[in-house]
Amino acid sequence: MTRSSHTLILFAVLLATGAAAFGLERFPPPQFETDYVRPTTTVPNPPQGFWEYIDAGVLIVTLFLATYLILRKRSRRWIFALMLFSLVYFGFFRKGCVCSVGAVQNVTLTAFDSTYAVPIAVLMFFALPLVFTLFFGRVFCGAVCPLGAIQDAVLIHPVRVPRWLESGLRLIAYLYLGAGVLFAAMGAMFIICRYDPFVGFFRFGGNWNILVLGGCLLLIGVFVGRPYCRFLCPYGVILRQLSRLSRWRVTITPTDCIQCRLCEDACPFGAIRKPTEPWPAKEYRVAKARLAFFLVLLPVLIGAGGWAGYELRGWLAQIHPQVRLAQRIYLEENAQVEGTTDASDAFRATGRPSPELYSEATLLRDRFGIGGVLFGAFVGLVIGGKLLSLSVKRRRTDYEADRASCLACGRCYEYCPKEHERWKNRKERLGRS
Amino acid sequence: MTGAPPQIPANEPALGYRTARTTAKVAGVFSVVFLVLLVANFIGTSVIGPRRENHLAAMKAALREGEATDEKLSEIRQLDLRIRRNRIWRLDFAHKTGHALLASIVVFFVAGKLARVLNKRLPRPEHAPDVGVEQIREARGARWTVTAGLVILGGIVALLVINEAPLAFVVASGTEPSPVAAVEPNETGPSYASMEEKRVQWHRFRGPGGGGVSLFTNIPTEWDGKTGKGIAWKSPVPLAGNNSPVVWNDRIFLSGATETKQEVYCYDAVSGRLLWTGDVPISPAVAAAELNPMEDTGRSASTMATDGRRVYAIFVTGDIAAFDFGGRRLWYKSLGVPDSAYGYASSLETYEDRVIVQYDQGDGSEDKSRLYALDGASGRIVWEAKREVPNSWTSPIVVEVEGKSQLITLTDPWLLANNPADGAEIWRAECAGGDVAPSPIYAGGLVLAIEPYSHLIAIKPTGQGNVTETHVAWTMDEGGPDICSPVGNDQYVYLLEGQGLLICCSVADGKKVFDHDLRTDFVASPSIVGDKIYLLDAEGVMHIGQVGPEYKELAKCELGEKCHASPAFVDGRIYIRSLENLWCIGGPTAVGKAD
Amino acid sequence: MVQRNDDVTRRRFLRDGLWGACLAGIGGVAGYAAHKSQRTDWVWQIDPYKCIACGNCATYCVLEESAVKCTHVHAICGYCKICFGFFDPEPYQINEGAENQMCPTGAIRRKYVEDPYYEYTIDEPLCNGCGKCVKGCNAFGNGSLFLQVRHDLCVNCNQCAIAAACPSQAFRRAPADHPYLLKSVDHA
Repeated sequence: MTRSSHTLILFAVLLATGAAAFGLERFPPPQFETDYVRPTTTVPNPPQGFWEYIDAGVLIVTLFLATYLILRKRSRRWIFALMLFSLVYFGFFRKGCVCSVGAVQNVTLTAFDSTYAVPIAVLMFFALPLVFTLFFGRVFCGAVCPLGAIQDAVLIHPVRVPRWLESGLRLIAYLYLGAGVLFAAMGAMFIICRYDPFVGFFRFGGNWNILVLGGCLLLIGVFVGRPYCRFLCPYGVILRQLSRLSRWRVTITPTDCIQCRLCEDACPFGAIRKPTEPWPAKEYRVAKARLAFFLVLLPVLIGAGGWAGYELRGWLAQIHPQVRLAQRIYLEENAQVEGTTDASDAFRATGRPSPELYSEATLLRDRFGIGGVLFGAFVGLVIGGKLLSLSVKRRRTDYEADRASCLACGRCYEYCPKEHERWKNRKERLGRS
Repeated sequence: MTGAPPQIPANEPALGYRTARTTAKVAGVFSVVFLVLLVANFIGTSVIGPRRENHLAAMKAALREGEATDEKLSEIRQLDLRIRRNRIWRLDFAHKTGHALLASIVVFFVAGKLARVLNKRLPRPEHAPDVGVEQIREARGARWTVTAGLVILGGIVALLVINEAPLAFVVASGTEPSPVAAVEPNETGPSYASMEEKRVQWHRFRGPGGGGVSLFTNIPTEWDGKTGKGIAWKSPVPLAGNNSPVVWNDRIFLSGATETKQEVYCYDAVSGRLLWTGDVPISPAVAAAELNPMEDTGRSASTMATDGRRVYAIFVTGDIAAFDFGGRRLWYKSLGVPDSAYGYASSLETYEDRVIVQYDQGDGSEDKSRLYALDGASGRIVWEAKREVPNSWTSPIVVEVEGKSQLITLTDPWLLANNPADGAEIWRAECAGGDVAPSPIYAGGLVLAIEPYSHLIAIKPTGQGNVTETHVAWTMDEGGPDICSPVGNDQYVYLLEGQGLLICCSVADGKKVFDHDLRTDFVASPSIVGDKIYLLDAEGVMHIGQVGPEYKELAKCELGEKCHASPAFVDGRIYIRSLENLWCIGGPTAVGKAD
Repeated sequence: MVQRNDDVTRRRFLRDGLWGACLAGIGGVAGYAAHKSQRTDWVWQIDPYKCIACGNCATYCVLEESAVKCTHVHAICGYCKICFGFFDPEPYQINEGAENQMCPTGAIRRKYVEDPYYEYTIDEPLCNGCGKCVKGCNAFGNGSLFLQVRHDLCVNCNQCAIAAACPSQAFRRAPADHPYLLKSVDHA
């Protein structure tokens, strides 16, 4: 046996070391004999830095402008123009992110994830529309929100959605809000952003499923006014409730209602309420009993919802990638499935023992249990509350815009003869001066 | 959209209404056309694109297999160019069509809205039905829908509650023991087996500590491969390799390789069934390296090792991989094609959850030799120790000295001890030279190392730094085997030379006790089981002798097949790899419950 | 009549209280979040040590052309003559011919530096972020090629579509003032 030297000539070339090897490199970076200079890695910085603050500034300006145009100027034409501006700016120009609807999740995540903090600009997108709604009603929906704007722009031939159907469909939005908050709190996913139907249009691209979903919603939106806002929007649900308390709000007539009924069908969103008439006497008795029944039912529904949410924790937890991964790894290790997935391979590559993953996922499942109780109780409260509010007799003497449902688009103004009177007076005043 | 109500007769649309309507219609048609174009483009990208790429891949594969001509080459290049050009064209097309679609949709809606406004009629509220009754009806209808929603929700909840969520892992992490945990060690406990667990297994080349000593005493002494007497089973091994079987509970692992394939095999100890075959990719660099190991080394000389949770295999190519006991490959990587004169042959060792790789290569002048500790779960290098030594063919051992673990490796000329936790060197002794192949052992409190054709040297492993002058216990100058590693207990150490000369010395002082010529060739290393020494010759005959001051033959058992690998001795069984088969010798009992 | 007035007053009082509570609530949430936020902006980024180069980045981005591209840190690169990121696993010849290249878009350029070293650079506009080269470089080379979200392209979606599809959970939010997670020499 003799010692041979290099036999592996070609590859030895690759292995040859020129300098002290760093760490764990297989092929130590060479030291060049020529005056070759290594290129540096270019890393372009994100442009968002100041844009976010410009966005927040534009938001404030548009909110004030919207308030002025909706409550003072009462001009649909101007409101429409501002709405188009918002659509172009927040939508097409800024590509639909940040938006107030999604910001709900960022704020939630801030509360639950110690490593995450919501950027100030996003926080403003979350809070400012709420504050404005508390003061002036849903002016944000009327002329600032790009999601509302794109639907409002395509509305050509509005058809009436019967009230019973509308009440039922609206429940979806509450479920969506609850789920969005729950999944954001658990750090699973921002589902409201993931399934944002219109953001694909703003960016000229995206997941085809979402684009098709958005296209369908817009197609429906040609006939049914703002379907997303009314039946799906999770942020709209919060705005609805705050709007009930608002200091100022949209009124159909600038002065007083003359019961001319001209505005009856003016609202494409079914938000105009007719004056009420007294009920037949026997209806009162039934109504009282019904009210009492629903009052008792409310805590039952909340309890049942909480229980259901707890029982469903396993299913809810499925949205968390960690839980799905744990399940997959378990099945693979117990030979209940064939082959591996990218995710399970990646997990094994980390070298973490699987029991650690299992206990982590179990902990997540338990947290989903707590979240599920709250989510379920919330859904129970919404349904019970809805049933209650549908059983209460309201007193209305005039035609008015429903505080919660009115999207402040300003379409109804021009239907009111009193409004025309106001225009005429103002024109005369202007003419005189 | 106008501010003032339209001042026109209700039944006659305003001027421009028709124009607006026609514009809307035309724009609508355009929108549909653009949309169809976009969808077609999308389908083209997602259907035709991959098809062309597959075609290209097939052409490339054909190129490697068959004869390459200039035409084929240029055909491939043209197709490649076409694919890339097409991709950019489609991107551009989608971009332009998207904008055109947006523009036409905008026109459609503007015209549509305009038409709507121009055709606006004054509201003419009809005589309303009884408002009170209508409102009561509306509220009732709404209550029913909400109730219906509640029922639907309840139904979904009920359905989901009945069908349990797929959360099987919850059981595994909870206090209830998983039924599988008993079989699959990776379900519970730390991610590696303790030293105590390893002591009753055969987790690496020549068993725990690498010394070829088995703790079991119930090892068979009688069998015959021709008649099948004493043979539990025999299973063919698909690819050849000189590595030895390693055993963990009821699983036996070994590997094999050819120039184009590197495989790991797991056998069931009870039935001998091949449970799974794992494949280790050959790193692309190997093709260029023109690796040509000596025939006696083969392509899979290194014995595998397990830490009780995962098993590791390395090949002559420097490709190393880890598998779990279920046969899933956890990772693989190349440590670079080794520059080894006869072909890389060092076996693996495990320490805690790490796999130890002795990676000596080159002629010592190029700084290429390393000792690696790789993270067993990920293959990440935990530490590496550089050593200025040439290629070697010995295997590392981890032994416990005065309660501390030492990782001992024998090279030319150093016998080295490193701390297996961080790779720091503890001591070194200059004691061997040439092409070292017999591995060091730890017996009677001494580390014993062989320089082939020369001597056996004993080092006290208690020193620090260079201990050549201070810690040599003794040297025995009456020859040294060139392949077989030594075996020893507290009293005796045996050297087995390739031509059959067995030399026995006293561990205490290195004095020769006896020598005995077995007159046959040996490749496998000797082993001690209790008071017996097992010597497997190259023809497959096991010589069983008494451990003592003179050689006393107890038995000779024939397998009838040539053997190069060292056998494994675990709990009533011997596992022997012959050139073609894996043999299990011993009764069908006692498997799995070690100790 | 008197009772009616009482009723109205009580209702208004209730409503005002609720209104104030809502405003305080919004203020509280905003204040809490603002207190915590310390002006952090976030961007999405890939942890190169977690990335397994599965190829999702090329297809899941909402942009037509993925914002994820291959990044090369030359300080780690071994300047291999046979680059496992550049060449097909079984190259027919060791040259730049299309039949030998791994990259489907031809985005890696190979240039001779000095014997035996070759420089590899990424032609970013051509790169589609498929990560084929990353996989090769990680398995058999130094791992100097890795995927990163390029922030001149990324629109920074609130929920990154690739992150939702990432099998190794390698996507994470990085502070905007440190928007890249580059491999470094001492860390490699």
